[in-house]
Amino acid sequence: MATRDSLIQVSDLKKHYKMGVIKALDGVTVDINKGDVMVVIGPSGSGKSTFLRSLNLLEEPTGGAIIFDGVDITKKKYKDANGNMVKLDIDKLRQKMGMVFQHFNLFPHMTILDNMILAPVKVKGMNREEAREKALALLDRVGLKDRADAYPIQLSGGQKQRVAIVRALAMEPEVMLFDEPTSALDPEMVGEVLDVMKELAKEGMTMVCVTHEMGFAREVGNRVLFMADGMLLEQGSPEDIFENPQHPRLKDFLAKVL
Amino acid sequence: MDSFIQLDNFVKIMPYTQLFKQGLLVTVLLSLFTVAIGFCIALVLALMRLSNVRPLRFLGIDQDGHQREEGVMAWISRFNPLDFIATAYVEILRSTPVLVQIFIIYYGVFGLVKLPSFQMFGFIKFDRFFPGVVALGMNSGAYLCEIIRSGIQSIDGGQTEAARSLGLSQAQNLRYIILPQALKNILPAIANEFVVIIKESAITYTIGVQDIMSAVNAVKGATFVIIEPLLVATAIYFCLCFPTSKIIAYFERRMSRGDKR
Repeated sequence: MATRDSLIQVSDLKKHYKMGVIKALDGVTVDINKGDVMVVIGPSGSGKSTFLRSLNLLEEPTGGAIIFDGVDITKKKYKDANGNMVKLDIDKLRQKMGMVFQHFNLFPHMTILDNMILAPVKVKGMNREEAREKALALLDRVGLKDRADAYPIQLSGGQKQRVAIVRALAMEPEVMLFDEPTSALDPEMVGEVLDVMKELAKEGMTMVCVTHEMGFAREVGNRVLFMADGMLLEQGSPEDIFENPQHPRLKDFLAKVL
Repeated sequence: MDSFIQLDNFVKIMPYTQLFKQGLLVTVLLSLFTVAIGFCIALVLALMRLSNVRPLRFLGIDQDGHQREEGVMAWISRFNPLDFIATAYVEILRSTPVLVQIFIIYYGVFGLVKLPSFQMFGFIKFDRFFPGVVALGMNSGAYLCEIIRSGIQSIDGGQTEAARSLGLSQAQNLRYIILPQALKNILPAIANEFVVIIKESAITYTIGVQDIMSAVNAVKGATFVIIEPLLVATAIYFCLCFPTSKIIAYFERRMSRGDKR
């Protein structure tokens, strides 16, 4: 692991509500390295989604630090290389982090193709034709090129989620965040989405994935985090976590889900 | 004893048909302009209400630069002057009579600002028509604001999250993702507001706008016939509003068939 470059360093991340009575995140420290496929598991309400959403600031942490590209993104302002205080450009930051949601969140008023080229054209200023070609190539990869002109409503859940994944990829992110990407799918469609994610992992994409798919965690993940009550209780390789769990909460959790 | 309605009274008011025609034109124009102005005001108000302008934001950031979640400072830091102004506007206009508002605009504002007194289409007095449009537009803007705001808020939060996570700014999210969906949802409500304004615009005859009600008054003054011109006005209003609302209902049904989610 030491040979890999660190991409995101999370230290003592906290998210407290109601004057600290509710602790959604309570001191999570973890390094995410380039090429990691990090799978986050844990019972519901354990803070794993909050952790993931904090990484691209859809949730604002109330304490701790997230160092991404050398900058603590939890602060509104930071010192740049010349020592000047600069305002954090959150939009710039989010371009480098693709996110896939449980409920797909495709834009229903646009065709699949328009869903895909919107951000590259409007945010990156990419030329429309170029963005179109790139989008079609990505759609081809997930076997949906022929549905480019369809509207999201005409697609099945699995197809929607595959589109959502390549929509995020169209921005060429450095890391992909998956928030329970298969939880809203019919069972027979889970496989097609996981296949796309496996493919992505094979290509070396850095991924952080909150999931209940233990099979995926074991097969594709290179690191597994177990969270409960807003704390990171155990982490390790899939073998460590699944074959040799240490923490009683983890043993209890695995007994329930496996 | 005379009966309630007398046929020969209709004959008596026949020569004034032209007045009713003009009144109809004025009412329709008045309503169209009102909805247009009202919509523009409402869009601005709705965006103000949903804006995130917080000049005291710095008070909500603690010493290490993190966002405060609780406490007086966090509460003060959330103060949004735009939201405050827009909310005050909406609540004041919704809690006072339209008649009072029209008088204030006509005698107050346009008592100070002199309008050019030319005639549109050869008979519409601009210096009466314009204050009427402004007053009704301001009033309907307050109601439309709430329609637009609810339309924007009805869009699933996941849409914004997806847009922002792709790197779109707040403004781009609004323009490309939220407003197109919201406006489609609230189009029937806006059309209904148009029907409401057709009826409400009758009140502008009190400041001398020559709409259908003012035609009734003119005929009344000239012939001393009261009920029959009122019945004519009722028929005209009904023929305007009833088909319009039916057409809206038709399109509403067609549109909802299109996107079952």
